Amino acid sequence: MNIPNQPINQKIFKYSITFMIILASVWSAAGLEITMDRILDAPRQIATLIGAMFPLDLSQEAFERIIPKVFESLFIAWAGTVIGAVFSFPISFLAAQNVAIGFVSRLTKQILNAIRAFPELILAFVFLPITGLGPFTGTLAVGIHSIGTLGKLSSEVIEGIDEGPLEAIKSSGGSKINELTFGVIPQVMPTITSYWLYRFEINLRASAVLGVVGAGGVGQELINQLRFRDFPRAGTVLICTIVLVLAADTISAAIRNRIIKGKIVKN
Amino acid sequence: MINIPKKPSASYLVILGIPSAFIFSIFSFLRIGFNLQDFKDNLANRAIVTEPLFNPKWKWAWENTSEALLETVQIAILASIIGCACALPLAFYASRATNLNKYSYFIYKSFLNLVRTIPDLFWAMLFTVAVGIGPFAGVLALIMFSLAIMGKLLSETIDSIDPGPMEAAKATGASHNQTVFTSALPQVLPNFTAYFLYIFELCIRASIILGLVGAGGVGRIIETQRIFLRFDRISPIIVIILVVVILIEQFSVWIRKRIL
Repeated sequence: MNIPNQPINQKIFKYSITFMIILASVWSAAGLEITMDRILDAPRQIATLIGAMFPLDLSQEAFERIIPKVFESLFIAWAGTVIGAVFSFPISFLAAQNVAIGFVSRLTKQILNAIRAFPELILAFVFLPITGLGPFTGTLAVGIHSIGTLGKLSSEVIEGIDEGPLEAIKSSGGSKINELTFGVIPQVMPTITSYWLYRFEINLRASAVLGVVGAGGVGQELINQLRFRDFPRAGTVLICTIVLVLAADTISAAIRNRIIKGKIVKN
Repeated sequence: MINIPKKPSASYLVILGIPSAFIFSIFSFLRIGFNLQDFKDNLANRAIVTEPLFNPKWKWAWENTSEALLETVQIAILASIIGCACALPLAFYASRATNLNKYSYFIYKSFLNLVRTIPDLFWAMLFTVAVGIGPFAGVLALIMFSLAIMGKLLSETIDSIDPGPMEAAKATGASHNQTVFTSALPQVLPNFTAYFLYIFELCIRASIILGLVGAGGVGRIIETQRIFLRFDRISPIIVIILVVVILIEQFSVWIRKRIL
């Protein structure tokens, strides 16, 4: 059988990409002083750490300290998402090309990009001296970062709408405001709501981490236990976090699924 | 007279969900200790931060960060390459289309979900304790981070591939592994490349803050200055990081356009 050969320039492209990837990783590994024996030793060290966590610290006192912190993370994430949703919703209309005029849309998009560029953790420690140690700082950081990301996602949803209903409203004599409330919002609401929930899932992970700089949440507890070498309790903190995140993810994913795909009607 | 059809009754999700979400929001705001008066009082002290923040010491930042910034980029490169390489086989095991065994599918899927629930900085904390402070811990943390994301994205892509080529391969008598290699893998390779570049961008962003817990990179310098509230040194570092991140993102977008 005559199998056609792969074109030669495609082959060159393939091999040069592979070569570049290998070169980049070797260069990085050399720069970071990662030697072979460190890599080979790592699994043993990780196993030692995991071994030190068991049996978990399941005492009453541990739970009394950990559970409020875990829930604090949940509240930070939810409140941050609410801030993000409330502020990003009107902003996303300003950022959408097909709703706002060109200049406003471009300017708003750039502002959103700038907000999005700062990680939550950096926002958190900049706010820390102003708003003090505690969950409120974390909420502000999470909320402001969410405005940036949700604003971008929502404005892209608005840009992707079907123009038909807008024309129908226009031809029946509707105003610009009517177009937004009856034409745009009903079309974009399901997707935007599911993005809010999706952002909540991400914010939950972010808020768990914020405790590292003292902005509330479960991260503070984990870093303290690891510093004091109290590994069984650190293990408990980890397990509690995993359970919370898994539960929140599952519920949120189910609701998102229901919103996007609609109710399953059984015949 | 026009016959207007009756509006369907709202579902339970709307009737119960919206009020409960509203109540939960109020409850959350109360629990995080939001207090408008305190907020106003605190805002009066903003000069502690804003004054140094807007008087950046460029020279100091330029002299001290370039080395750590290179370390950050190297951590991200190494971790995203290794993480995505490890995720490639895992994703095939964690997809219904290519893994016919129900139980092993479930195990791989739950493993990926479990890795995904732990935030990147938690991994970094754990690995700094396990293998010592330094960039190696950061690389390990980001490997787990990129493994989880790539595993999820790619396994979902594999779920939705076109079954035709796989059937064709099977009809010629290919074994299951041969089928996967010849007809499932080529279908997802373009997506894999796109996801890889996306994960590389995420890793660059994530590796900036790794240093806050001692896992190497430019965050190490931010952390030491943060403790002493030297915002005049932090703000130029942040600006430099942003410029580097944006440049790398543009580069990655350019590559993505060329490849796809």
